[in-house]
Order: sequence, then structure tokens, then C-alpha cells
Amino acid sequence: MATNPVIDVDRLGVTYGTFQAVQDLSFQVERGELYALLGTNGAGKTSTLEVVEGHRTATTGSVRVLGAAPTDRRAVRPRTGTMLQESGFAPELTVAETVRLIGRLSGREDSAERVLGLVGLTRKAETRVAQLSGGEKRRLDFATAVYGRPELLFLDEPTTGLDIRSRDALWETVEQLRADGTTIVLTTHYLEEAQQHADRVGLMHGGTLQREGTVAELTRSLPASIRFSLPPGAATPPRQAVPLEDRSWAIETFELQRDLKQLLDWAAASKVELDGLSAAPTRLDDVFRAVGTDPAVPAPR
Amino acid sequence: MLPIAKSELVQVLRDRAVLITSLLMPLAASAFFIGFRDVFAGIGSLGYVAAVLVFTIAAFSLYVTTVTTLAGRRQSLFLKRLRSTAAGDAAILTGLVLPVTVIALVQVAVIVTTFAVVGGTPADVLLFVVAAVATFAMMLALGIGTAGVTTSPEHAQVTTLPLSLGTIAVASWVGITGTQDLAELKRIMPGGAATELMVGAWNGGLALGDALLLLVPTAAWVVVAITIAAKMFRWEPRR
Repeated sequence: MATNPVIDVDRLGVTYGTFQAVQDLSFQVERGELYALLGTNGAGKTSTLEVVEGHRTATTGSVRVLGAAPTDRRAVRPRTGTMLQESGFAPELTVAETVRLIGRLSGREDSAERVLGLVGLTRKAETRVAQLSGGEKRRLDFATAVYGRPELLFLDEPTTGLDIRSRDALWETVEQLRADGTTIVLTTHYLEEAQQHADRVGLMHGGTLQREGTVAELTRSLPASIRFSLPPGAATPPRQAVPLEDRSWAIETFELQRDLKQLLDWAAASKVELDGLSAAPTRLDDVFRAVGTDPAVPAPR
Repeated sequence: MLPIAKSELVQVLRDRAVLITSLLMPLAASAFFIGFRDVFAGIGSLGYVAAVLVFTIAAFSLYVTTVTTLAGRRQSLFLKRLRSTAAGDAAILTGLVLPVTVIALVQVAVIVTTFAVVGGTPADVLLFVVAAVATFAMMLALGIGTAGVTTSPEHAQVTTLPLSLGTIAVASWVGITGTQDLAELKRIMPGGAATELMVGAWNGGLALGDALLLLVPTAAWVVVAITIAAKMFRWEPRR
């Protein structure tokens, strides 16, 4: 349990008519933490994020952000930067005008030149937003979110549409903000980004939080995988190997190093070449897939 | 609120489609009415021409532009963007409609003054101004309400037709036929009592008691329009 959480969600419920998008959801985000809220399609994470960002009110339960109700804009927004999933900029304004407008309305002090430099849009400062590419709009969105170095930063699909160089630059800036103590809430479909950068991950499915913990804690719950193929007529591999198709075999293991060594020892002793041998530790993707297929977990609505 | 209003003014001035709708069309229509004022005065009166000028600008320059602007800003999620800041809803909405309102007010002031110069001054300037301002307040609030059922700027071309044409039709009906017949019906229609006030204020001969009586439905329509705006306006696109 977090002692002084920046975000405190307690038994949140969000209902649209008769449809319950979120039910009995609780989690906390601590100061300086990067918390990734992930979920299958229709899991309810957008509804959750909208409530936490203050764009929607909770049907049931309570949400506190920086000690205040998220809809209390005067209290919360000057300390919060938000990168929306879709840009939502006025097409007729220039890039610099947009940053100055949103920056001024945020209630924080900064310079448009600084944040545009941060996202590599200095040369586009006088270009109208309508003429920007999709990736440039995402960078502009990020620039407005980090204007004035907010204490809390919401990043909703921040790297969608960005090329690899822009992604790296964005994450470099995010890491700098983290080093300065900024708390960050991330949603993304790029699980490798969550795996690489998140301190903790909350995994939603069917409107509830199905798993939560560090990446190590989450991946520890699923076995790693060793895969290989055997030539025709080869000896039978160690007993933990399971046949797949086309002479392929798999070993699911919580002791990757031990079982891999055992397999290699067996192959050497049996003089068998293991074609296409791969040994992969459990990744966040595997945990994500398991949530979607675990019979104990309700199917997506 | 002022930074939003300033950015909105910049956008209006840079958007040719909005400029044509909010500036050129009402100006062209007004020039037509002023140019043929004797013909229209023959059908109704000079007060009728003045009332139609006010309603034309209120309908096209203010009402249609308000609906188009708000629907466009919501569709592009610019409203959501503004609501991600520390600005309150009232400040955002005021900032968004302030430029089109000021433009429309300047337009009506210039056009009606021009009409007064060429066609003669109104008998009761203050009463005319009160009726015109009430008409603008009603049309602005109706614009905010209509934006709630308008999904895009293109859709606004359809959703604004009933009220923009309807109010001008009511103004013409009242202005041309007077209120000797069907007086109650004409006065409870949107803009009906305001038209009668403007016609009477311009032509003269409206007793104080009658003017006060006409102010009641005029003010009531402002309240109704504000209620409609509060109930119908939406910040987020429909899912």
C-alpha cells in the first residue's frame, strides 16, 4: 500500500447506461514512479484514465490526484501535464502559438522555445498545425504536456506514430523528468516500452485490474520458453520437452538456465543438433496474452 | 479566457470559410436590404428593415458561426485539449464565442448606423439597442445549444437551418403583417416580441407600457435559450 500516493484510485466504477466499463478498480501511484496502465481492447483503461485526468466523473468509488479531486482543475492542472491519445489542436494556429496558448492555460511558467527544442520542433515553430505530420503532432502534444515541468505527467499512447529516433528522444526526455522526480502514468500498446521503462505495471481486463506489480514480479508468474527442432530419427529429448508440430519441441520452465543446460548436455551426449534453438525469458507480452486467455479471467466484452 | 479568445480570433481570421460565412454573407445580405430599403419599407416599414438587418446578422454572423466553431473545436478535440488545462468551462466557452460575438456586434453597429444615416434615425435608440442585444443573447445561447446536436462544421449547415431561417421568417412575418392578428402567437415565437420592439422603437409610437409588456417574452426567450444551451451543450464527441 502506498503511503502518500500521488494518485489514489479506490474502488472505482464507471458505467455508461447499463454497460459497466470499469468495476471495483483500486490502485495507487507513488511519487516519482512511472506506472504503466495496460489493458486489452475494451478493458476500461481509457475510461479509467479519463476519470483520473478529470475528464469524466466516477460513477462509484473515489479518485484523488495530488490530494485533490481530479475535476478540481485549479488545484490539479497547474501541477499536471497531459499528453492526450489524440492531439486535439487548432489547425489554424502555428506550433509556437499552440504551445504558448496551452502553456499559459496550464498555469505553469516556461518558454515555448525550450519545450519546442526539447522535441525537435524549433524549426517548425511558425508552421501551422494543419501542416504537421502525425508524428510531429505527437511531439507537439508532448511539448505541451512537459511545458513548465509538471509534477505529474499523463502519457496516453505517447509514441504512436513516432519514428524510432523520435521515440528515443521522447524516452530520453521522460527519463530526465523521472530523474527530476516527475511522477508518470503511461498507457501504451507497445509493451516493450512498458517493460523497459515502467517501475510498476497495472494490467486491466474486463473492467478490472487483473495483475499489478513490477515487470519482474509479473513475468515471474509465467514460465520462460525454450524451443527447438530435432532432425528425423533423433533420440527423444528430455522428459519436460513437449512436442509441437513439424518436429518442433518446447520446454516451458521456471528454471531457464538449469533446463537449458540440461537440454544442451543431452544434445551433446546424444550428438543431436538442435535446429532453431531459442531460449526466451518471460516477457510482458506473455503476461498480457495470459490475461486474455486465462479461463479464470472473463473474456473481453 | 482572453488567451483563448485571442487564439480564436486568429483562427477566425485565418479560416476563409468562416470569414465568408460570418462576414461577407451578412454584409452582402445587409447591403441588399439597405439598397432596396424603399421596397422593403413599402412592404413593411423602415423599422421592419432595421429588425431584419439585426436578425440577419444575429442568425448568420453570430448563430451559424457559433455552431460551426464549437462543433469544429469539439470534433477536433480542441475542447478536450482546453479542458486538460487549468481553465474552467465558463472561461473556455466565453473565450471561444467572444470573438464571433464581438465581430457580430461590430457588424450590426456599423450596418444599422449606416441604415440610420441613409434611411433615418430610430425614434427610441435605447429601446432598439435593448431589443437587439436581447436578440443577440438569445441567438448566441441557441447557437451553443445547437452545437450540442451538431457533430461537425459540415453538419452545422443542416442543423442551423431551422433556427436561422425560422427566426428571420418570424421577424419578417411580424414586421410585415404587424400584430393586429394572432398577436399572442407572434409574440411567443422566438424573436417575435423582439421584432415588435425593434419595429416600434424605430418607427416610434410604442407606449412605455406596451414596450415593457414586450420585454417580458423577449427576456423569457433569452432565459429559455440559456436553459437550452446548458442542457444540450456537450464537450466531448459522442462515442
